[in-house]
Amino acid sequence: MDIDVLAHGIVAGSLYALVAVSFNILYRPTNVFNFAQGELVMLGAMIFASLTSLAGMPWLVAFAATLITVGCIGLIEERIAVAPILARSQTGTGWVITTLATSLIISNFVGRFWGPDPILVKPPALLSMESLDILSSRISSYEIALILVTLVLVLIVERIYRTLKGKAVMAVAEDREAALLRGIDPGSLGRWSFFLGAAFAAMTGILASPVLYASTSLGPDLLLKGFAAAAVGSIGNNRGALIAGYVIGVTEAVGASLLSPGYQEAVIFIVVLAVLLLKPEGLFGSPNARTV
Amino acid sequence: MSRAVIPIAMQLAALAAALALPAFVGANSYALFVATQLGIYIIAAIGLNLLAGYAGQVSLGHAAFVAIGAYSVALLTVDHHWPFWAAAVVGMVLAAGLGVLAALPAFRLSTWYFAFITLAFALVFEKMIVEWRWLTKGFAGVVSVPPPSAFGYEFGPRPLYYTIVAVTVVAFILVRNVVHSRFGRAFVAVRDVEPAALAVGASPQRTKLVAFVISAALAGVAGAFFAVQKTVVTPDDFTADFSIFFLLTVVLGGLGTLWGPIIGALVFFLIPELLAGLQSWRMLIYGGMLLGLMLFAPHGLYGALRQAWRRMAPANPGANAAASEAREHPPIAGLALDITGLRKQFGGVQALDAVDLSVPAGSCCAIVGPNGSGKTTLLNLASGYYVPDAGSVKIGDVEALGSGAQKIAARGVGRTFQTPRLIADLTALDNVMLGAYTRERAGLLATALRLPSARAETRRLRQEALGFLQFVGVADRADVEAGEIPHGQQRLIEIARAMMGGARLILLDEPAAGLSMSELERLERLIMRICGLGATIVIVEHHLDLVANVASHVTVLDRGVVLAAGKPSAVFNDERVMRAYMGDRALKAGVPA
Repeated sequence: MDIDVLAHGIVAGSLYALVAVSFNILYRPTNVFNFAQGELVMLGAMIFASLTSLAGMPWLVAFAATLITVGCIGLIEERIAVAPILARSQTGTGWVITTLATSLIISNFVGRFWGPDPILVKPPALLSMESLDILSSRISSYEIALILVTLVLVLIVERIYRTLKGKAVMAVAEDREAALLRGIDPGSLGRWSFFLGAAFAAMTGILASPVLYASTSLGPDLLLKGFAAAAVGSIGNNRGALIAGYVIGVTEAVGASLLSPGYQEAVIFIVVLAVLLLKPEGLFGSPNARTV
Repeated sequence: MSRAVIPIAMQLAALAAALALPAFVGANSYALFVATQLGIYIIAAIGLNLLAGYAGQVSLGHAAFVAIGAYSVALLTVDHHWPFWAAAVVGMVLAAGLGVLAALPAFRLSTWYFAFITLAFALVFEKMIVEWRWLTKGFAGVVSVPPPSAFGYEFGPRPLYYTIVAVTVVAFILVRNVVHSRFGRAFVAVRDVEPAALAVGASPQRTKLVAFVISAALAGVAGAFFAVQKTVVTPDDFTADFSIFFLLTVVLGGLGTLWGPIIGALVFFLIPELLAGLQSWRMLIYGGMLLGLMLFAPHGLYGALRQAWRRMAPANPGANAAASEAREHPPIAGLALDITGLRKQFGGVQALDAVDLSVPAGSCCAIVGPNGSGKTTLLNLASGYYVPDAGSVKIGDVEALGSGAQKIAARGVGRTFQTPRLIADLTALDNVMLGAYTRERAGLLATALRLPSARAETRRLRQEALGFLQFVGVADRADVEAGEIPHGQQRLIEIARAMMGGARLILLDEPAAGLSMSELERLERLIMRICGLGATIVIVEHHLDLVANVASHVTVLDRGVVLAAGKPSAVFNDERVMRAYMGDRALKAGVPA
């Protein structure tokens, strides 16, 4: 196998893993799997691209502004499209449709506002997209940094879950009412998780934009591949998501080089189906007991 | 399920209008073209509604199943000169088959997996249509699909329209029959209260699968007609937007209502004409509509109509109550329950540690103990909701360990839950009839076609269910939706549901919790009557007076181990039991039992 294919699979896989982690952040306390997550990633990339490339804002300022803006949009989504539905019923039909509706609204609004042309985003200072030719692979310094940053981010997120606040999140995911009785407010955790999950999605979009460009087509693509990484790596398991992200990224790259690029999605789809058929809870999870 | 909101006269008028339309418009007119298309969309929407509205599985890729039907017909008739009808059957079977293949893993998982997988399936399928140029002719698509013909007569626009109207009516009636049958009750149970579906022996996986097969097959049929109506089939016809369009149609008309898809499609066909100037904002408007409808009108236009109707003409419950007469219930051959060495650990907590419990057939045994002592865990293990770490659970003489909850239920184990798990959207009577799920013999086909055997069975079970409602004393609530029934009566209905399932071993999880004094007395009498019929009863309860009166044997659990077991009078006077269960103060004050 070409080492270049492998390297690009890992780069793409890192991005999928980040999307999967952003799904997990949102999912853990709310048990909601946000169908607008892909569009939040896209929105992050678009806002950041506009602020840096078009408005000429410094990298860090634009970074912070984007995270806060998209985080707030996630919060608005939770308030309007998720919380009222969850208050009525916890079963899935409702929020699947409302978060999907949110994704339609965001993607079409962005499409109207920014237009279909992709925006080029430069990597931050000291890094570039020029190929480095290490080990006969055409990987750039930015892509290497992206792989490392992903690793660090996943470790940080895992660390946070081990703190008291993190345990509270897990408690709510396990049993909403029991957590409530112990003085944890599921409502506030839900709001925070949407804010943070959306901000994390925006960060993923920013990190992705030098590699993939900022465009409206980012959303649906990353939504499905992020889902694939989250499902294969077991929902809620961030390390699992990281490894599954690599698996998906490499499979996709290999599939595309062996067959044709048109088969990318089909190959991933079959991998996901096969994993879910054999291990419904994903590769790194244990089956949960249902409580009655 | 729902009171007749659109009376028969209006239904017939709608049908008459549909049939009369071609008389007023030209054979090649735009109006007839649109009406034909409307019929095709309604067929697919009826299927999607069964899936998303009744069974609660939202398909975000319905366009792909329509595409499979359309491409099957286009390719088989154009390239291989098959007759339309044979090609349509192939399209239907392929849509259902490929769909099931893709969605199979999703049925075991949460609802949203299904939504994601159908979304991905549609996306992959769209790509593959383009990729497999040798088969599908790529972007150019398949052109000049011939119209259907029969007996050497080629269908023009008018016969085609009539055919589609006929298929739509048939689809509507078949789906209505299924919805009003045990399958329909199981759909709603799986959608709203999965534990209840398991308790009556309905497999959630199989139930979702049935809904999906019907839904995908209808989409395939719609696709078959789509191909002959448009005569050109291209990948652009089946984009993600098309799937969203179907979903919106159903949500707009009313998810989980029979007329929803029809109303939704009708309204939807008027909207584009009104919004012609806003074409480029279309998807934004779709998104806004989906969000707004789900928030403010979850049952769509039909739901709003129904609400208005109810306000004008309040229902008259009790119609069913009068029809039934008191009957003697035949004796029940109770099943013995034998538990030995049962262990269950949750994380670091040993919930049950080597618990033995022996309940002879036909006896009433109680399990008591402080909160967190493992009583409900024991019930959940015995009824298959949890898998134990070690031990044996024998029901009758059969080892039940490792069988799923719905299998154990089918063997004659009925149960109730700590908080009543009734299906709020179904009437009390339907909830009780749901109990008979595994006893009903009529298959899907017999049900959909309403064969005489299926009708006779339904009639018989209806009478039986009314009998059980009367047995537990809430026959006057038969036609009330369970969500509107007071808590105490919900508990009784849950017991009726368990009995309706032919339960020979009944597990009651804190049946007295939240009951008033008079309800408590009724419950006590009821339990004694059920026991008198011969059924075995295991009751988990905090209310010791009740336990002392009904149970012949008591087992006390404390922190996962059996503290004492024996006759109620002996056990309640055991010093260790009093200390563990009632605290030291009770030792000095004496015991109520």
